[in-house]
Amino acid sequence: MSYIEIRDLNFSYRDDEKPLSVLRDVSLDIEKGEYVAIVGHNGSGKSTLAKLLNLVIDDYEGFEGSIKVDGKEITSSDMTEDDIYELRKKIGMVFQNPDNQLVATIVEEDVAFGPENLGLPREEIRARVDGALMTVGMTAYAKHEPHRLSGGQKQRIAIAGIIAMKPECIIFDESTAMLDPMGRREVVDTMEKLNREEGKTVITITHYMDEAVRADRVIVIDDGKVVLDGKPSEIFAEDKLLRQCGLDLPLCADLLLRLRARGFSLKGEINTPEQCAQTIADALGK
Amino acid sequence: MSKIKIENVCYVYDGGTPFETVALDNINIEIRENTVTGIIGHTGSGKSTLVQMFNGLIKPTSGKILLDGVDIWEKPKEISKVRFRVGLVMQYPEYQLFEETVRADIAFGPKNMGLDDAEVARRVHEAASFVGLDESSLDKSPFDLSGGQKRRAAIAGVMAMRPEVLVLDEPSAGLDPAGKNTIFDGIKRYAAATGAAVIIVSHSMDDMAKYCEDLVVLSHSKVVMSGKRNEVFGQGELLEKIGLGVPQMTGLMMMLREKGIDVPADIYTVDDAEAALARILGGAL
Repeated sequence: MSYIEIRDLNFSYRDDEKPLSVLRDVSLDIEKGEYVAIVGHNGSGKSTLAKLLNLVIDDYEGFEGSIKVDGKEITSSDMTEDDIYELRKKIGMVFQNPDNQLVATIVEEDVAFGPENLGLPREEIRARVDGALMTVGMTAYAKHEPHRLSGGQKQRIAIAGIIAMKPECIIFDESTAMLDPMGRREVVDTMEKLNREEGKTVITITHYMDEAVRADRVIVIDDGKVVLDGKPSEIFAEDKLLRQCGLDLPLCADLLLRLRARGFSLKGEINTPEQCAQTIADALGK
Repeated sequence: MSKIKIENVCYVYDGGTPFETVALDNINIEIRENTVTGIIGHTGSGKSTLVQMFNGLIKPTSGKILLDGVDIWEKPKEISKVRFRVGLVMQYPEYQLFEETVRADIAFGPKNMGLDDAEVARRVHEAASFVGLDESSLDKSPFDLSGGQKRRAAIAGVMAMRPEVLVLDEPSAGLDPAGKNTIFDGIKRYAAATGAAVIIVSHSMDDMAKYCEDLVVLSHSKVVMSGKRNEVFGQGELLEKIGLGVPQMTGLMMMLREKGIDVPADIYTVDDAEAALARILGGAL
């Protein structure tokens, strides 16, 4: 049994007179501890998929099919408030705009907001807040005012608030889209650390192929369907299909595919700058 | 002569209060016409404040903004004329669409300029073609367009005024790769057709490398570098130090040099890298 099991999932929004079909026949398994990137053009359905996993979207009548998290069916209409609460403890979500996710006027109070609502003892809250701030590298800012921090720092505080809930899985819904280069690097490094060192299942929804390439697995969604699912090196070899889906290649993958098309034999991984440099150096015998 | 010259410009928020903040500290920049200039800097570096000065949305606390050599604040009552000459596309401009049809929305600016109907229609058609919106989408409600199309409609609304200076604050934020390429292609078409000075603010070093000829780098309210693309990206260490980094291909070349491969230093885009490596690999094999 996989940690997240999605079977024949169809979903439509029904706000207007005619329903808008967003996800079609999606079946996926995500294992505990995986680092997965989901990519797709604007309106492809990738964000909806992510938001269904912890029922941020909880419009049961639009559902068909099944989503199981840790063995429990979450799309059934007999999910109680408590069940949803339990689910969100397991799967936390970090959104795009850091300013919309902070609730308190002091960093550590913001991080404590979730655990306080769990009704945990004082010492436990303290320990969780300190641990979470340490994980995201923001211990020095515990007493600061969140609104004075940079975008990347704010986003890391939002992540700390999620970590303090001790989730098994964290979903990042375009969490780097509004950040500057340093902020992006900080958040992506934090994602990697949560996965590699803390063993969290990480699912990142992104438009940046250079971020997707750092995951263990990339899922491409187009028009509500899963069109590709595999290792980054497999996915980013499919340049034509990706471009048809409104996506692009990571720059290094693009470079090496172009050089291969010119007839140069370049063997090896092609996705990250480090891999790309090694592949070129190998070809030159350096 | 430069199209826009920013001379000793300072801007202070909440001046005279305990919350006084210097957002721009003695800025001097020249923007050339017929050139795409990129403005880069981390969040809070002062970019967005600067951008709102080009068309007089914010008045400098001190210093001058010269448009074709004339101080735009010389006659404050005529500042609205400057706004027809310097078009500003703000972040997420699609939130500002309000008319019933895309056509009416794009026409709003040129109508306000007092142009006759025939000229307005011509401008709408031209602006839509710059950004690649086809005739059929012009009669739709802006709210029936996709995110990327809405963004293009909003940019077309500014292009329809045919500004001599077109300023865009993060025009591709939040768009997927195809959406981003379409936006930048539209900006390039506008620049080529009009010879305007185009100013783009972006966080992406790779986009800046691909689309801009001149660059201005802001950090902590000051200009730390400005000049031609190679002059700025040539200073990789300083860019790293202020947290911006270099374009990915420039970084790749740095790694290759460390491995003892003699690659040129002035590589910024995939096109540059492809040409240089094809030469080196061709010579070696």
